[in-house]
Amino acid sequence: MNRPSRIPTADIVRRSLPRRYKKERRFLIYGALSIVVCFLFLGIFFSGIFRMGWRAFFETRIKLPIYLDPELILPYNIKESDYGLVISQSLQRFFPDVTSRQEKRELSKLLGAGVEEVLKEFVIKHPEAVGSAVEIWLPAGDGINLINKGVISKERAIQAGLVTEGILQKFEQLSSDGRVSTGFNSRFFTSGDSHTPSMAGIGGAIVGSFYLMVVTFFLSFPIGVGAAIYLEECAPKSRLTDIIDININNLTAVPSIIFGLIGLAIFLNFFKLPRSSPLVGGLVLSLMTIPVIVIASKSALKSVPPSIREAALGVGASKIQTIFHHVVPLALPGMFTGAILGMARAVGETAPLLMVGMVAFVVDIPKKLMDPASALPVQIYLWSDQPDRAFNEKAAAAIIVLIFFMIAMNSAAIFLRKKYERKY
Amino acid sequence: MKNFIAKFINTSALSRDNSYCYQDVSVFLSDTSQLKSKEPFSLPESSKKPCIVCRNVNVFYKNKQAINDVSLDIYRREVLAIIGASGCGKSTFIRCLNRMNDTIEGCRVTGQILFDGIDIHSKDMDVVLLRARVGMVFQKPNPFPKSIYENVAYGPKIHGLAQSKRELDEIVEVSLRKAGLWDEVKDRLSHSGLSLSGGQQQRLCIARTIAVNPEVILMDEPCSALDPIATARIEELMAELSQEYAIVIVTHSLQQAARVSHRTAFFHLGSLIEIGPTEEIFTRPSKKLTEDYITGRFG
Amino acid sequence: MNQKKLSISTAILVCASFILIVTAWFSPALAARDTIQIVGSSTVYPFSITVAEHLGKKGFKTPKVESTGTGGGFKLFCAGVGETHPDISNASRAIKDSEKETCALNGVKDIIEVKIGYDGIVLAVSKKGQPMDLTTKDIFLAIAKQVPDPKEEGKIIPNPYKTWKDINPNFPNIKIEIYGPPPTSGTRDAFLELAMESGAKSFTFLKEMAKKDEKQFKSIAHTIREDGAYIDAGENDNLIVQKLDGNPKALGIFGFSFLDQNQDKIQGCSINGAKPTFENIASGSYPLARPLFFYVKKAHVGVIPGIKEYVEEFLSERAIGDNGYLTQKGLIPLPKEEREKVRNTVKGQL
Repeated sequence: MNRPSRIPTADIVRRSLPRRYKKERRFLIYGALSIVVCFLFLGIFFSGIFRMGWRAFFETRIKLPIYLDPELILPYNIKESDYGLVISQSLQRFFPDVTSRQEKRELSKLLGAGVEEVLKEFVIKHPEAVGSAVEIWLPAGDGINLINKGVISKERAIQAGLVTEGILQKFEQLSSDGRVSTGFNSRFFTSGDSHTPSMAGIGGAIVGSFYLMVVTFFLSFPIGVGAAIYLEECAPKSRLTDIIDININNLTAVPSIIFGLIGLAIFLNFFKLPRSSPLVGGLVLSLMTIPVIVIASKSALKSVPPSIREAALGVGASKIQTIFHHVVPLALPGMFTGAILGMARAVGETAPLLMVGMVAFVVDIPKKLMDPASALPVQIYLWSDQPDRAFNEKAAAAIIVLIFFMIAMNSAAIFLRKKYERKY
Repeated sequence: MKNFIAKFINTSALSRDNSYCYQDVSVFLSDTSQLKSKEPFSLPESSKKPCIVCRNVNVFYKNKQAINDVSLDIYRREVLAIIGASGCGKSTFIRCLNRMNDTIEGCRVTGQILFDGIDIHSKDMDVVLLRARVGMVFQKPNPFPKSIYENVAYGPKIHGLAQSKRELDEIVEVSLRKAGLWDEVKDRLSHSGLSLSGGQQQRLCIARTIAVNPEVILMDEPCSALDPIATARIEELMAELSQEYAIVIVTHSLQQAARVSHRTAFFHLGSLIEIGPTEEIFTRPSKKLTEDYITGRFG
Repeated sequence: MNQKKLSISTAILVCASFILIVTAWFSPALAARDTIQIVGSSTVYPFSITVAEHLGKKGFKTPKVESTGTGGGFKLFCAGVGETHPDISNASRAIKDSEKETCALNGVKDIIEVKIGYDGIVLAVSKKGQPMDLTTKDIFLAIAKQVPDPKEEGKIIPNPYKTWKDINPNFPNIKIEIYGPPPTSGTRDAFLELAMESGAKSFTFLKEMAKKDEKQFKSIAHTIREDGAYIDAGENDNLIVQKLDGNPKALGIFGFSFLDQNQDKIQGCSINGAKPTFENIASGSYPLARPLFFYVKKAHVGVIPGIKEYVEEFLSERAIGDNGYLTQKGLIPLPKEEREKVRNTVKGQL
């Protein structure tokens, strides 16, 4: 006002405008650049994983005539017959030129290590076929499988000792006879872990992860929401509640392995719960998820406008009625979102599970909460540490599945929020 | 003795065979004669007895005093307007009357507020019961984010006022009719209360309040968020409702106070400056401050 | 949401969590364990799971195998006798006396030791790089934090060697860069013991020191340089293989089975003139070979079904024989006579 100069304000502003706009533009460019960098890394990550893993969803199959020798498969002993022998005899009949012991042994590499199981399943389903020759699609051996899917070149496969020249020739011959096909590997989703890559699947891990989620949700959601409601709505604000608040916030930053140690000390050593069971894993993950849910629920409760509370109190609702009839329903979408995000974090954890013994080789698909089980991230961790080459693509495929689950859960959170979000 | 009477009053109110305030307040007043009665005002209608009696009410937020030694009475079937400049404590005062200030942290109320002869802060007065009997309409329309029907039916439901669905439907219809909203919403009772216009929402809130059949309705600047047409509707409504209920309305608008109220109280900086029949306050105020405010010299 | 629905769903949630907690509380009483629990070394893990799966096909429940590392395995194994404690512990080294004491303290008295074969520790380079003929002395000089002064006998100096040529003029002039396992790994323990100690002992004064002052000797032989020439690559050996593939000048230290599976990408360096091959490790001419074991809790045999069968399957000729399925997975078998011996002693103990 009392500036001595007489330069009109408009001139001063006009002079500063270019500089201001330049600043604005520069900031916009920085922002756009950081987004581009983020997406670049994301793209590299996804494309790398996808390129490695997508082939594991497919398997190479070979059609072979198998003679179901009634002398080997006895009708009262279908489950315990030596199907390996049935297959090797049929193989020899199909390749009569193979005579030496060494060659015969190599011939078995044409087919996957789990073919006996496949044949067994077939015979159990069709017991009437015993005694006749049938044409069956059988999974190819690991080396053949990798070559056929183009994961590894023929030369390198031979160098690495995955296949031999002779086997490769026979495979090509079969291929030109139309006896080779590539199909969707449904076993990958239904079977448990195995030492042979061709038989290994994430079925057990998915079931384990599912149990973990169920336990985690049913424990952490009521407890977390209950704690949040009490802290936010009922507890008198005091130094004690402040301390509790701060500590809950701190808990979210505690490294997850520490929750595993707590689980080991409390649930395994004190309560003597069965090691490696999804129940214990779920308990540990609940410990991890509860603070996340408490914080999310508290902020959801806080965002419910006081006018709603006043309205309810004004018509004579009691405090608890106000909370449960009006405040909680409005906060529920926010609470669910928090719960889903917390669970999505928990479902990707391995470190706490390591301590309670869930990082384990488990073949049988868990049927109860007490059965030993592994989980998806655990399966990835275990497979990535296996010497066997074919496990690498399995691990990548499991990562794809895990990422898919994460995306699904996060989308569910967004969907819930959008659907039940209410304006007030 | 006092306790006994209080209990008696309380139970008779609970029975609610009629919704009138306890009539024979004189018994009570004689009993609490230690209260200084500086009410100079004579009743406009001799049959009326005070429904709410406030004596030496002080309100503190933490250490700040918001209301300073206010004493006034509220009578049945009257509209009492409270006017005053922003921040003079009008809202704080009426929120004391149904203990809405309990929800505000650090707020402390001293003095006596007798509703129906019972101190509302005593053990004999349950806060839920108090709020069922002293309803409130807020400044901003705040319907529940539920259907129109649910909005009105909520109060009767939690208090168990209706024995059957039919009865509840009746209460909803009567309340909406009284609030003058029935014809506008009868075809869309299941729509969200938030789908209504601002004025309709405020009338819905009034319907929600009267559905509980309270004895007093507190209105905290109910028209400040509304346009003139909606305001006119609410004012009409108030005139109708005052046939049955005691209404306390806080308002910024002097014209509104003049239009709707029987009596007017003028607050300034937390103190009650003057209270009297509206006509008197607006035409010949006894205090200089009141006159200044009414003539627009400040505020 | 109306209030009835809400209170019902709240009730369901509360009930569900209550049931969960109650079942959790009483579960040990509910189910007797019928699955064998195996813990221990990550080196033995792939062999262990293979045998486990074979046992599973014989009608038993497939044993559960945890890869906890040898030390971690013993910690769990020695914690006590009973359902909640594991039955078998895999180990890439023999059990230590201190571990035996812990076991005994917790009531684990009878432990059956089963030697199953050998594992070689290899130093490998990428196929694109040049394999070197190393001696354990070269390895010691390349990796130790402190080495003997070449100019003055008996003096210890901080490791001055930057390139391989500094160590031996015959080696190429490339920077020393070695990816190896972290301190928590059993492979690293074995590597320190087999390669570094023997390399240090090639200096006479250090050899004498080993006799007189073992502690000081170990502090020299077991301390790895921290100037960036040795890089902790984490527990995952596949990662080291990948890093070697991308960096032809670097060396990597890991188990033989990873070399075996990745022969198209990497090649092993010979140590003291012996190539890391199957035959050399089995015959004992390759110096960096260690025995692998598993330990069985005798008190559990006959209580948990299948332990005896598991041990028998593991020791069968079709598993650890010269052409056995474990041998095909990279386990280096014991000589035939030793296999027989192990089989007989174990049979006697079971």
